Amino acid sequence: MITDEVAARAVAEAGPGAFALATRERSLMLRFAAGRPTQSTAIDDITVEVAIPYHGHVGRAATNAVDDRSVADCAARARFAARAAAVSGEGSFPGFDAHGDAAAVPAFDLDTSELDPATGAAALGDAFAVADRHGVEAHGIWTVAEQEQGFATDEGGGAERRTDAFMKVICIAPSGRSGYASATAVALAEIAPSELAERAARKAVARGEPAELAPGEYPVVFEPQAAGWLLDLLGDCAFNGLAHVEGRGALVGRLGEQVAAAGINLSDSPSNGRTLPRSFDAEGAVKRPMPLIQDGVAHGVAHDIRSAAAAGAMSTGHALAPGGTGAGPHPTNLVLAGGGAAGEVELCAPVERGVYVTRLWYANVVRPKETLITAVTRDGTFLIEDGTVTRPLRDLRLTDSVLGILSRTQAVAREQRLASDGEFYGRRFAYGVVCPALRADAVRFTGAAG
Amino acid sequence: MRDLLADLIDSAQARAGYADARFVRSRVERLSTRNGRLDQLDSHESEGIGVRVRMGGAWGFAAVRGSGRREAEAALARAIAIAEVQPKVPDAAALAAEPPARGEWASPFERDPFEVPLEDKLAVLLAADAGLRTEPGVNLTRARFSAFQTETLFASTEGALCQQRVTECGGGIAVVAVGNGDSQIRSYPASHGGHVAAAGYEHFLELELPGHAPRIASDAVSLLGAPACPHGTTTLILAGEQLGLQVHESVGHAVELDRVLGREASYAGTSFVPPDGIGRLAFGSERVNVTADATTPRGLGSFRWDDEGVEGRPVPIVRDGMLAGFLSSRETASEIGLERSGGCMRAEGFSRQPIVRMTNVNLEPGDAGTLDDLIADTDEGLLIETNRSWSIDNRRLHFQFEGEAGWEIRNGERGRLVRNPSYAGVTPEFWGRCDAICSAGDWRLISLLDCGKGEPGQVMRVSHGTSPARFREVEVGVA
Repeated sequence: MITDEVAARAVAEAGPGAFALATRERSLMLRFAAGRPTQSTAIDDITVEVAIPYHGHVGRAATNAVDDRSVADCAARARFAARAAAVSGEGSFPGFDAHGDAAAVPAFDLDTSELDPATGAAALGDAFAVADRHGVEAHGIWTVAEQEQGFATDEGGGAERRTDAFMKVICIAPSGRSGYASATAVALAEIAPSELAERAARKAVARGEPAELAPGEYPVVFEPQAAGWLLDLLGDCAFNGLAHVEGRGALVGRLGEQVAAAGINLSDSPSNGRTLPRSFDAEGAVKRPMPLIQDGVAHGVAHDIRSAAAAGAMSTGHALAPGGTGAGPHPTNLVLAGGGAAGEVELCAPVERGVYVTRLWYANVVRPKETLITAVTRDGTFLIEDGTVTRPLRDLRLTDSVLGILSRTQAVAREQRLASDGEFYGRRFAYGVVCPALRADAVRFTGAAG
Repeated sequence: MRDLLADLIDSAQARAGYADARFVRSRVERLSTRNGRLDQLDSHESEGIGVRVRMGGAWGFAAVRGSGRREAEAALARAIAIAEVQPKVPDAAALAAEPPARGEWASPFERDPFEVPLEDKLAVLLAADAGLRTEPGVNLTRARFSAFQTETLFASTEGALCQQRVTECGGGIAVVAVGNGDSQIRSYPASHGGHVAAAGYEHFLELELPGHAPRIASDAVSLLGAPACPHGTTTLILAGEQLGLQVHESVGHAVELDRVLGREASYAGTSFVPPDGIGRLAFGSERVNVTADATTPRGLGSFRWDDEGVEGRPVPIVRDGMLAGFLSSRETASEIGLERSGGCMRAEGFSRQPIVRMTNVNLEPGDAGTLDDLIADTDEGLLIETNRSWSIDNRRLHFQFEGEAGWEIRNGERGRLVRNPSYAGVTPEFWGRCDAICSAGDWRLISLLDCGKGEPGQVMRVSHGTSPARFREVEVGVA
């Protein structure tokens, strides 16, 4: 691997106490819209981040040039930054402590790492054929990537190769109704383009005039994709150790208390068989399973080195950048345990009049301490009447507290799915939430959408 | 590098119907303080080449780091290989004609922010941070500095060869107060990273962050005890960042022609605006005039050429309330029969291909005088200036925003502070209720630093110029 060698070289330049993280991305993404290819992007790039602690501060620099001179220059910039930082007095960063003792996790698939555009083109063709058969347009992406990541300190290092594959299909019917399906996996072979297109198309062509619901509170069945969004937002509001230690977090003063229904068991499980596994975080800390909510009781928050130091705790392996980011740590391998319901059909059964949500969109935190978020439903919203999905429903705006929704959760499905949106800003960082579908009562909708 | 790109394009000429190549070198410096200590001190540099080809109507794009000839040729080969295996698009529209871009250009600045000693920048940030901590009850204080420099060399098979350099700089402050089981944030001059302009270090100093810090801290603590914004329908005055964001989300994104044509349905969404809406769609009241202007001084959407070599210029978007134009590319403009691209193709760095993005989408000033004049002319209502939360549906129709702070307006005067001021609306109805826009003297640019779009995702920095505006019968207190 190239990244551990580059990271080691950077640390050698940076000097004692330094930490370096090198991340190489090779990726391919094919986009399509209305049954035709629209854009395709192949990337081969590397980022080397050098972090140098100095009097409790961290100076950082990054480059994508890995020749000796560039790496040395990057280390010099980090050193210069660290020394400049000292003008603000003594900081609290305790230093890096990574030894490279992370256990290997099954995160790599050789076939996926080939990034074959012909395989992608065939996947698009399959999706287009299904869409044609249903008389709908197919939109979406197909993407694969190999990421190699290595870190080094002056005491050791580690490296890991990962692959990820993602495809989503949004089918749009002539009526304007749409349906969504997606899949994420370490190995491309686990993704079935025709099956995704079929699921999306069926939602788009569902019969019946779209119903409208007035703003108010309704029971809701969330598919895993929608439930995953809610849980990911909860990661920001509730499990961010930096916000917690600064008094801004939603769980301040609530650890050990009941914050969700008794059937809610949420953890960060980086080696779970359904997640995109990682063995170490951006500070080289070993990632281990961590309970967050057990039987509805808040159990802990995620830390990187900085937030852990402020809290008098140890890093839990949730750093997103060496030395931490301004936003704080984030759990990137959330897993919500499955419950007793056989599936979405059983979840709908007790609902007299409610909402079935395939996915949420444009979700944003309104008030983090309340875990209040707002989002709109999209691509497959249906009315539940007398225990079954009866017809399409005009999209709605949801504005509610995530912990409130989890407190009002009445049932959780058995089967879990890895929910991801395949958003790849900056250096590719594929992640998702493993979760089942769930039903919650009295979910608050504040208006129409779409 | 010019020779390399020229050779690359020569090689592409024989193999693809169209090709372009961009060499991009980026520098970023970010400094921030947190509770009186330096928190973040980052410098990031990158360079690489992105090659885009069009074959049989399908696009291929490949990006590779560095500036080596072998890597650049490999990127071209990869882009061609990807385009070749794509399902063909035989009815793809030709690219709208464009004269080849030639020349050099650099955005103006007085003082290069990368040449200013770190100690000087830190001194300003630490002074601002100290000003934020003058108020008891404050939990978190932050002061930020950002500087960006992007150099781009562009060449195409149509003879374009142009080079430009854009320098951007700015910052902001924010404070969080916690109490009564609540947390409240106040920011200056804007939330989400402050105000950045296409300018030098002089812009950062002009923000006078230390001078504004005590007022912001006082506001944050006061908000903890302020009454919540009541639910109801009232007159809403938007100013500053909140109005800029309203323009951005409900006008700018709605008129991106790739969305309008359904190309972004898989991610960003579509639009309520129809492709044949020019001159037919009533977007707002007759007071509403919006221009997408890539020549606005200091705007983050300003450039000489976009990332497919189209010269930047002002493009009318809304005139007297009617839709007048789109944000477009050469491909999308051609598809609806426009003679020329609007020059809105922008890419984040070398490793992303250009997509339709906003330039400076500006709300033209009206004749309502100053903000104080507008408040004096309003019997009852609510004023919101700084954004806290935003969300809008995938057709850019139904939105819900919440500001950091609101002020009641009673009998023509700014009244008491209210917390959690939110409002909701439907885009053309909302703009249709705009009955006053302040005059040119109150017209300011605001910046949005994290506009996300595209797959793989691209973050773009954009600016919007606005004067405070008034909207009647708006639902407030919705969140």
